[in-house]
Amino acid sequence: MRKSLTLFSTAAAAVVCISLTLTPGKAQAPAAPAKAVAKAVAKGPRMPDGRPNLNGVWEYIGTANWDIQDHSPAPGPMWQLGAIGAIPAGQGVVEGNEIPYKPAALEKKKQNKASAPAEDPEAKCYMPGIPRATYMPFPFQIIQSNKDILMAYEYASANRLINMGKPIEAGSDTWMGTSNGHWEGDTLVVDVTGLNGLAWFDRAGNWASDKVHVVERYKRRSNDVMDYEATIDDPSVFTRPWKISLPLYKRAEKNAQILEFKCVEFAEELLYGKYKKQPTK
Amino acid sequence: MSGREFALAAVILAGSALAQTSKYTPPRTPDGQPDLQGVWTNITITPLERPANLAGKEFFTAAEARQYEKDTVERNNADRRDGGAQADLSRAYNDAWYDRGTRVVETLRTSLIIDPPDGHIPRRGDQPAGPPPGLGRPPEGPEDRALTERCILWPTAGPPMMPSFYNNNYQIVQGPGYVTILVEMIHDARVIPLDGPRDVRPHIDANVRQWMGDPRGHWEGNTLVVETTNFNDKTRFQRAGPNMRLVERFTRTAPDTIMYEFTVTDPSAFTKHWTGQIPMKRTEGPIIEYACNEGNYAMEGMLAGARADEKKAAGK
Repeated sequence: MRKSLTLFSTAAAAVVCISLTLTPGKAQAPAAPAKAVAKAVAKGPRMPDGRPNLNGVWEYIGTANWDIQDHSPAPGPMWQLGAIGAIPAGQGVVEGNEIPYKPAALEKKKQNKASAPAEDPEAKCYMPGIPRATYMPFPFQIIQSNKDILMAYEYASANRLINMGKPIEAGSDTWMGTSNGHWEGDTLVVDVTGLNGLAWFDRAGNWASDKVHVVERYKRRSNDVMDYEATIDDPSVFTRPWKISLPLYKRAEKNAQILEFKCVEFAEELLYGKYKKQPTK
Repeated sequence: MSGREFALAAVILAGSALAQTSKYTPPRTPDGQPDLQGVWTNITITPLERPANLAGKEFFTAAEARQYEKDTVERNNADRRDGGAQADLSRAYNDAWYDRGTRVVETLRTSLIIDPPDGHIPRRGDQPAGPPPGLGRPPEGPEDRALTERCILWPTAGPPMMPSFYNNNYQIVQGPGYVTILVEMIHDARVIPLDGPRDVRPHIDANVRQWMGDPRGHWEGNTLVVETTNFNDKTRFQRAGPNMRLVERFTRTAPDTIMYEFTVTDPSAFTKHWTGQIPMKRTEGPIIEYACNEGNYAMEGMLAGARADEKKAAGK
């Protein structure tokens, strides 16, 4: 069912997600500004066809990769690293700060956290999935063509193509999912399905299953800042859809480029150390 | 002319003239680049170097090409069961997996190397041609296995981008000032910044080294020229060193063809520069994510197997 969404039902689902998220209690306040934002004209450069030009090297500044929810500073997982490895405090990126887990799903989140960092897919140099790729402490580059859009992430050489043509169905579940994009005014809306549910949202073990449906919204606020939102819907894990929102900053260095972080090498001891030949005693 | 531009010009002058004489005019992107976009494959059974029995023969006739294809496909057939138990075991990775292709390149060349004309890599005599030390013994750790098996780098990504035994698929996406190549194996994206007439971006500092090097591109007419340096000392393409300089040329010679040429220069490994040529043909998408490291159960199996063998040999 999830894999056979048409563009119409996908767009409809996105609208439902947003209205559900914005309706209850605390989250009600942003509803009016969100509507205003949707109408506002994006700032920044334009493509030859008049669409907003999202090209550039972008990076989030914050601690969401440690924990997408509000958190105090804390000692890190490796005492040997001292203050270097400690966890900085952070103001969360989850609207309302509440992730509406079902009870069993919350238990799994706690188990994940207890098993970190060894079991965090990031430690194993596994692809980060969506939305985590967006707020990793690494830059990523958007290459926007007159057809499709490529997002190339520095971490783990992860990447994904956003199909801007006729929507395609997710052929099989993958780490980075299947992305179909379209424009709603000046906002790039990306519908992500076919995620395999193995990636975590952060080092705190927040997660969703392979039933998750993510709808992202990219809107350039200025030359230097782009607003990012991701609505996360997974009825098997959460009691309602919920939303992440954060700003992405354009890397302004004249020579900005994503460099290589092929991290498999750095994870091999963690992954295979126990199978290596030990020195003779 | 900077040192980089000079070296580039020298290599270009020495390169093949085939692509440059193409009569086909490719469509343009909205920002005026020749349009290379789409999904492409470089699949072929033509070997990089000319087989010994074809010495002196630069091109097949059509009939010879068909015979070579027939023989090669038969030799590569991993579904055969005519070699006994040991052969069956090594063919367990069978043709359900492989997708090596069944055809030689459409130019009917007998090797991908077009220069030198003998179709061979001009290796320095003091450089061994075999695999690096460590490979071949029971693995003591992952470092004893090939980069492909470690899920670090595949020949398909290179660069240069070489056909391998499956998933030889690429998608080119062009944004303003950039050409990017999405490489299916193993989910690599080559992001190539383009130099403009007044906007030349120097390479990253020589202290920054990368598995896939640091590319810079520019257009010469309808040909995309990409110069890559800053390789690390572990990529070792055909035993080249970290100072390897690679120049790739992409020319769309027909609606369904990009002629891809690459020239390798490294005096530490080769007596002269050498050039290969591979036609890339349009194919169907989409590119599918190849999660190599994420599913690398074989590495665990190979290492655990080697440890079990040692234990057995020690009589424990």
